[in-house]
Amino acid sequence: MIVANDLCKQFERTVLEQENGKKKKKKSKKEKFYAVNHVSFQVEQGEILGILGPNGAGKTTLLRMLGSLMLPTSGSVEIEDQEGNRITDAVLLKRSIGYLSGNTKLYHRLSTREMLYMLGEIYEIDREEIVRRVEEIGKVLDMESFLDNRIEKLSTGQTQRASIARCLIHEPDIYIFDEPTLGLDILSADAIVNFMKAQKERGKTVLYSTHYLEEAQFLCDRIIMIYKGRIVREGSPAQIMEECKAGNLRDAFHRVMEEVEAV
Amino acid sequence: MNMKRMTALLKRELRDILRDKKTLFTMVVIPILLYPLLIIGMSVLMSTIMSSQAEKTYLVAFDTEKAVEKEFETIFTENKEDIGYQIEIVDVNNYEEALDAEEIDAFVRETADGAYTLNYLSAKDKSSTAVSALGSAFDLYRENLREQKIEDAGLDVETLLNPISFQREDLSSTEESVGNLLGSMMPFFIIVSILLGAIYPAIDVTAGEKERGTLETLLTLPVTNFEMIMSKFLAVSVIACVSAMLNVFSMGGAMVFLVSSSMSSMADNMNITIHYETFIPGILFTLIVMMFFALLVTAVCMCTCVFAKSFKEANNYATPVMLIFMFGSYVTMIPDMELTAQTAAIPIVNVALLVEGLFQFSYNYGLFAIVLFSNVAYSLLAIMILGKIYNSEAVLFSEGLSSIKLVSKRSDIKEKQMPGFGDVILLLCVVLLLIFYVGSYAQIKWGFAGVAIQQGIILLCPLVYAWYIKADGKKLFSLKPVKPLQILGSVFMGIGAFLGALLIGGLLMPVFPDSAEGLTQLDNMLTEVPVSLLVLVVALMPAIGEELLFRGFVMGTLKNKCKPVVTVLVTTLIFAAYHMSLIKMFTIGIVGLGLTLAAYKTGSIAASMCVHFLNNLLSVLISKYPEQLQKIFPVLFKEKLGISGMLILAAVMIVGVSIGWMLISSRKENVKE
Repeated sequence: MIVANDLCKQFERTVLEQENGKKKKKKSKKEKFYAVNHVSFQVEQGEILGILGPNGAGKTTLLRMLGSLMLPTSGSVEIEDQEGNRITDAVLLKRSIGYLSGNTKLYHRLSTREMLYMLGEIYEIDREEIVRRVEEIGKVLDMESFLDNRIEKLSTGQTQRASIARCLIHEPDIYIFDEPTLGLDILSADAIVNFMKAQKERGKTVLYSTHYLEEAQFLCDRIIMIYKGRIVREGSPAQIMEECKAGNLRDAFHRVMEEVEAV
Repeated sequence: MNMKRMTALLKRELRDILRDKKTLFTMVVIPILLYPLLIIGMSVLMSTIMSSQAEKTYLVAFDTEKAVEKEFETIFTENKEDIGYQIEIVDVNNYEEALDAEEIDAFVRETADGAYTLNYLSAKDKSSTAVSALGSAFDLYRENLREQKIEDAGLDVETLLNPISFQREDLSSTEESVGNLLGSMMPFFIIVSILLGAIYPAIDVTAGEKERGTLETLLTLPVTNFEMIMSKFLAVSVIACVSAMLNVFSMGGAMVFLVSSSMSSMADNMNITIHYETFIPGILFTLIVMMFFALLVTAVCMCTCVFAKSFKEANNYATPVMLIFMFGSYVTMIPDMELTAQTAAIPIVNVALLVEGLFQFSYNYGLFAIVLFSNVAYSLLAIMILGKIYNSEAVLFSEGLSSIKLVSKRSDIKEKQMPGFGDVILLLCVVLLLIFYVGSYAQIKWGFAGVAIQQGIILLCPLVYAWYIKADGKKLFSLKPVKPLQILGSVFMGIGAFLGALLIGGLLMPVFPDSAEGLTQLDNMLTEVPVSLLVLVVALMPAIGEELLFRGFVMGTLKNKCKPVVTVLVTTLIFAAYHMSLIKMFTIGIVGLGLTLAAYKTGSIAASMCVHFLNNLLSVLISKYPEQLQKIFPVLFKEKLGISGMLILAAVMIVGVSIGWMLISSRKENVKE
């Protein structure tokens, strides 16, 4: 279970200001704004939560804070592990999270096997256990043929599988995926969707953001829509569609966005 | 810091760097193949050009009387060795045209007033060589004429032309000459090769990692920022060091080859051998300095490159850094620039001067230590800045540089906190640098008043720092009233430590014979200052300032985080190291141990302040009233302590320390009851 407690993230942006004096001088000013604005929610074990929102809504920032890549300006992230212990320390949090985004590239100069061994050492897993897990992951993800090739030589699909292997090596309880199917062909995207389903069935927690609403509609147990850093709608896909009186999630999404933009 | 994770990270960084073709190229191909090929190739090329010039025949024409031409013909054949070139006289019709058409290389013309002009084309190498050869021939011709005229006048040629004779004799050994040559060249090679070795890996692990998009992957791993930075830093330092050593050895090898081959051509008639083994200590010290310097270079390069988003951008940022380092290394070309206590603290310059000195066989261990310390201090500062930068999400996620906060605002700091290790390191570095720059300057400018300023710096720095971070001053500086009995115990402990220092000093005398020559400029200066001022500046101010810094800030912070033994030992070590003298380090260390124990056991800084004051007061009295004190404490003035003397000292020391320990401890038990 992962809990977001009143998370906020403040950034600075530069705004141009027209001065009213005699000399019309453009002056740039720093302005603070909330990329994520008081967001709280909780994701249970065996649940898939989808985070939807237009570009710049704060999805990536939110996921980065949940993965402890970024520190929140205020609020906190908490994990409850299978023994019921509450964890808030960033290093410990990262041990129970598998984080994947478009920006988490792999080490091109290493082979997949070398990279996985290296990660295993950082996660402080025993050598024998690492070897066992790498063999297993290689079989499950069908990547035995290219385990020893340098990652720079792999195809896009193979690289994506290596990325998933990276998130799997420490057997985390929680997966956080930031637009995992973006730019992938149908086969690779399906592989990821199936992977998330399989993890849910194994009782793992999955959080993921996406722009593919059809995918979210049949995959997610619950959906959070965010706009300008705030949660604007929350609930199961069926619930949201009913509330918006829409036949599918895409229409529901449009209605919600029209609603909030009007306010 | 988790060592297992650190080594895993370090292994990955090293493996990643070593698989980069650019790094491998600058690290291996350039030093091992290119430098030797260039150096040896160039020298072979030069010598073949020189010899081919010598073998060439230069054609000249004479527009003079036939008799003069005849004279020169004999000079050219008989004195070929002196002139160094083979010259042949040819006849031409039009001299200018012939010279222009390069039929001849030069011609001689007799002017109307009996003088000669040597005509040549400065734009043509061959012509220039020919005219300089002609010049030497004319010198010989003039000499012949001179001798002839003197003989004709019936005078003695030898006494008239050479009434006295002299010759130069170089008394420096061949090693010293070679060392001088190496000393002026090696610093530049070393600094540049460390820089080149560090710069590409530094870019690779910072901007390169951002460009490849693996930085965010690294951030998903359960490692602390500090582990991440240290692994990167260590990996780059190791690479920089190894590549610099490869460079220096291949370059050194090539140069030794050159020197010995050029020597062997001369050695036929001079019989010179060079004992290269005399350079071994210098080379070993140089390697140590190189390692420390590599730390600094790595930290500076990483600090610069971390701001860049791509390899290309980082390269642009690195260029000014490279220029600064190169200019710094040119300092050895300035005559009379030497390593002194002042220059030893200037980054880059100190390393250049130290290496130059090492090759010229001047080993000054004190200055050597200062150079190492200051390099460590600068590197630590740079690493701390690097840590701050890596803590900033703006840099990690490339969101612009404006929001980096190197120093947090005082208003953002929480009340009553305790400083951490980082604060101790930062404070010590700042104090050290201020003493070096402000303190040394003040001392040179205002003499004794400068010493007071230096002490003031030590006193103010910990106080200002503690105020800025809103530290709990009472707890940090162990400001606690202390009972008279505890002070007495501390004094006993101090006496024990003082005697221990004397004992160690006596034991070390044979190892470091220089330690007897402790009289410095400062001591000479002190004799002119009145006692009251001396007591204030040399005894009271250090007692307060140094205690606040070491037994206060440093020990107070460590006490909060480490075991007692570690706290006492580290505080003592820092105190000893801060005095910047390898020789005095042991004696000061013993006194420091006594002071630290007194402060730690009593839990009050007042105790160690008293002891420190008494210790320094004694030094003042010794330098002011040596005769009177010699009567009371003859043991302080003994040149050499016999074994019995040492045993007595040791016994008194043990008694002193035990009484002190008991007095302090008994007091504590009473409090507990």
